[in-house]
Amino acid sequence: MKIDFKLNGKPTSIDVDPAMPLLWVVRDELKLTATKFGCGMAMCGACTLHIDGEAIRSCSVPVESIAGKNIITLEGLSESEANLHPIQQAWMEEQVPQCGYCQSGFMMAAAKLIKENPNPTDDDIKNGITNICRCGTHPRIIKAIKRAAEINNQNH
Amino acid sequence: MSKEKKSFSRRKFLQRGVIVLGGSVVASYLGCSPMRRFTAQKVESMDLPASISSLKPDFWFEILADNTILLKSPKIEMGQGVWTGLAMMAAEELEVSLDKIKVEHANTGSGLIDNVNTGGSSSTSSLYGPVREVAATMREMLKAAAAKQWNVSISAVKTENGTLSSGGKKATYGEIVASTKEWDEPKTPTLKPKSAFKIIGKEVKRVDLKPKVMGTAKYTLDSELPDMLYAVLVKSPYLDATIKSVDSNEATKSAGVVKIVREGNLLAVVAKSFYAADSAAKKVVVEWNTPNKTQQADLIKLVTVGNGKEANIQKEGSAKSILKDNKTEVFRQEYRTPMATHAQMEVNGAIAHVEANKVLIITGSQGPSQVRDVVAKAIDIKKDTIDVHTPLLGGGFGRKAAPGLAAEAAIISKIVGKPIKVYNSRQHEFQNGVYRPNTHHVLQAKMTKDSKIEAITHDQATPDMYVRNMVGEIGLKLLGSDFLSAGHGASLMYNVPNKSVSVWNTDVPIPISIWRAVGMFPNTFAIESFINELAHKAGKDAIDFRLDMLTDKDDKIIERSRKVLETLIEKSGWETPKADGVGRGIAIGNDRKSIAAAAIEVEIIEGKIKVKKVTNVLDMGQIINPEGIKAQIEGCVMMGISATLYEELTVKDGQIEQAYFSQYPLASLSDVPEILSFLLEGDDVPYGVGEPPLSPIAPAIVGAVLNLTGKALRSLPLRLS
Ligand code: FES
Ligand code: FES
Repeated sequence: MKIDFKLNGKPTSIDVDPAMPLLWVVRDELKLTATKFGCGMAMCGACTLHIDGEAIRSCSVPVESIAGKNIITLEGLSESEANLHPIQQAWMEEQVPQCGYCQSGFMMAAAKLIKENPNPTDDDIKNGITNICRCGTHPRIIKAIKRAAEINNQNH
Repeated sequence: MSKEKKSFSRRKFLQRGVIVLGGSVVASYLGCSPMRRFTAQKVESMDLPASISSLKPDFWFEILADNTILLKSPKIEMGQGVWTGLAMMAAEELEVSLDKIKVEHANTGSGLIDNVNTGGSSSTSSLYGPVREVAATMREMLKAAAAKQWNVSISAVKTENGTLSSGGKKATYGEIVASTKEWDEPKTPTLKPKSAFKIIGKEVKRVDLKPKVMGTAKYTLDSELPDMLYAVLVKSPYLDATIKSVDSNEATKSAGVVKIVREGNLLAVVAKSFYAADSAAKKVVVEWNTPNKTQQADLIKLVTVGNGKEANIQKEGSAKSILKDNKTEVFRQEYRTPMATHAQMEVNGAIAHVEANKVLIITGSQGPSQVRDVVAKAIDIKKDTIDVHTPLLGGGFGRKAAPGLAAEAAIISKIVGKPIKVYNSRQHEFQNGVYRPNTHHVLQAKMTKDSKIEAITHDQATPDMYVRNMVGEIGLKLLGSDFLSAGHGASLMYNVPNKSVSVWNTDVPIPISIWRAVGMFPNTFAIESFINELAHKAGKDAIDFRLDMLTDKDDKIIERSRKVLETLIEKSGWETPKADGVGRGIAIGNDRKSIAAAAIEVEIIEGKIKVKKVTNVLDMGQIINPEGIKAQIEGCVMMGISATLYEELTVKDGQIEQAYFSQYPLASLSDVPEILSFLLEGDDVPYGVGEPPLSPIAPAIVGAVLNLTGKALRSLPLRLS
């Protein structure tokens, strides 16, 4: 089945099994590999991306359901390397990643969080994101999200 | 070899100045001695009988035409920051800024790969000398070459930020490399004194930061080969299962399927995409023989002190007879740690391309040279035809010290004749993995009238965690028990006149492996919990009680431990009044010369233990990358909280019961406490940082609960009722 949608701003068309999870469409068919596989069961958040502005675990979304929608992956979060999204800026400043594997999912979830809540408290962050990181970068994730919110508010 | 090919490699040879160096003058220097020294040092530092490789390196460093320096890391980056540490050490002696060093993993076909896995928190410490020596040698060679060209004395040549200069003359390293044909053999250069360090010990950004933030960092699952097919393995959720029968009729008809491969108990669906393979794999009907019937109670019974083979690993004075003398009361407690899994975020995976006389493997492993050996055996091919490339690892924690899926990928690729990518499902990771085994500990002590420990014994029951992998069955027999990995940290460091420690080794019918900090984790939990209980019983402050047993002024470890505890008192506010409802606990460990201690504050909220604040003091000797060390401490705190409060793997009817993250909860953002970290440099050489801060976390939490409630919890994960 042919499905049309927007991926990181670009009109995209794909002809695959409509039940194929979006994660595999993005990674294996469209070769954007920032979005990761961690569990395939919506339990870890490694595959988080944005669908029409919502942070969604793409491993559990059949591609047919995104027809006509706007998908943003980490590759499309920032305008350019020179003009990084506040989340990525803050992630650089706080040196969040260790192994890095979970980070794309965390950044996508975090970008959505600060959009909705421009001044998140520690508790807002702790309750707002349930992604898994095994390296234990959580303390830096909290710092970086608060820093990103700060950058965001300065920019506006 | 065709003419064209020859001239290409000759050109490459000339462009790559350091291959010239590597090929002629420095070959012996680069190739053997630092490697030998490094492995020797590692063996020394770990007290391990290590199997040592004599793999031939192509090169270690390469000065590229754009004046950057390529460092092919023999150690694997799995998040712990080893690339950054090595790059900092090299940049320091090469007199270049850190951004001039590009790091990638060496490959087994041409790299300086060691036969010992990346692990044991030993990479930076073991390479601290060799990397700097090689870098300093390169710098001196560049200076000598420039001096010759400019007709000045070597001492008149200065190096700064990748540029050589003398008077008005100036050239980049790249330029000198390009214009030098013969290199003079340098004397062993003197290394910079600590006071002259410009990079080591300073704040830097980790070298793999940007790709990890931009999403361009490549892991195994992100790698590809042209014309590659995907394989999904069909596995039984039961341990040791073998195939009775297979019905793959439906699966074969599934869209995109290329082949169903069955080779012994290896069953795989090969298809054009992962999704196609995965969908078809669900349609394969298999009947399994499930000979492993292990129950949780069997495991507990097997791993119990008194069972298995005893090896006494520490004996001072006559602890055992004092404990038996019936004169005073013996304080005796038992502790247990559960089986656990690594749950690294990136599942194991591999890509293999098997050709007639050439095998390419791409897999994220902590031991690429072992991957090569396993593949050689699996497809019966000579080792030197195999080239193992290692992308970044999405976490290791010991899980990727096991061979992973390279052999499976190679077998399938050989049968199908195409490059194959294969990876585990999360369920495979949980149920078909290798595990941290459960342990049992019995501690006994007698106190003097003035509340000092007169005699203490520790008996640890544990399966072998790793020694069998290193020295084989016979080696393990000779050693008596695995006191090197599973028994690591079983000994007692305190100055007590009578002490005795034994490790009881039992085999369990479960695949066992190393898990971050290996034996240090269960042993520190048991010993330090016991020490906290003794202090509590004696009505003494937990830190004072320890300081009273750290008295040997001639013992550097003891002296550094004192300093760590004294710093912890000050930094954690140990002596300040506690808020209501708060308990404080502490623990300390000596993990291969790194001394780590934590003071932890807990509360009990709605019947649950909540870690509020963790103050860490770590003396890891020479600081290389302070921010990197702090990140490792934070990671250890989170993993420590996770393993203390939540993690437990159980077995039922020969099946690991937890198959998904939902059944094996891990610490998350909501568990983040306030974390303070303080670094002490008690020595001029760096020791490990990736594991030492982990072990004190569990016993310090237990100590805090004891302090708050008067209740001693002795089994992980902690349960209040
Ligand atoms: S891979 Fe989608 S939530 Fe884990
Ligand atoms: S950085 Fe490794 S899992 Fe999060």
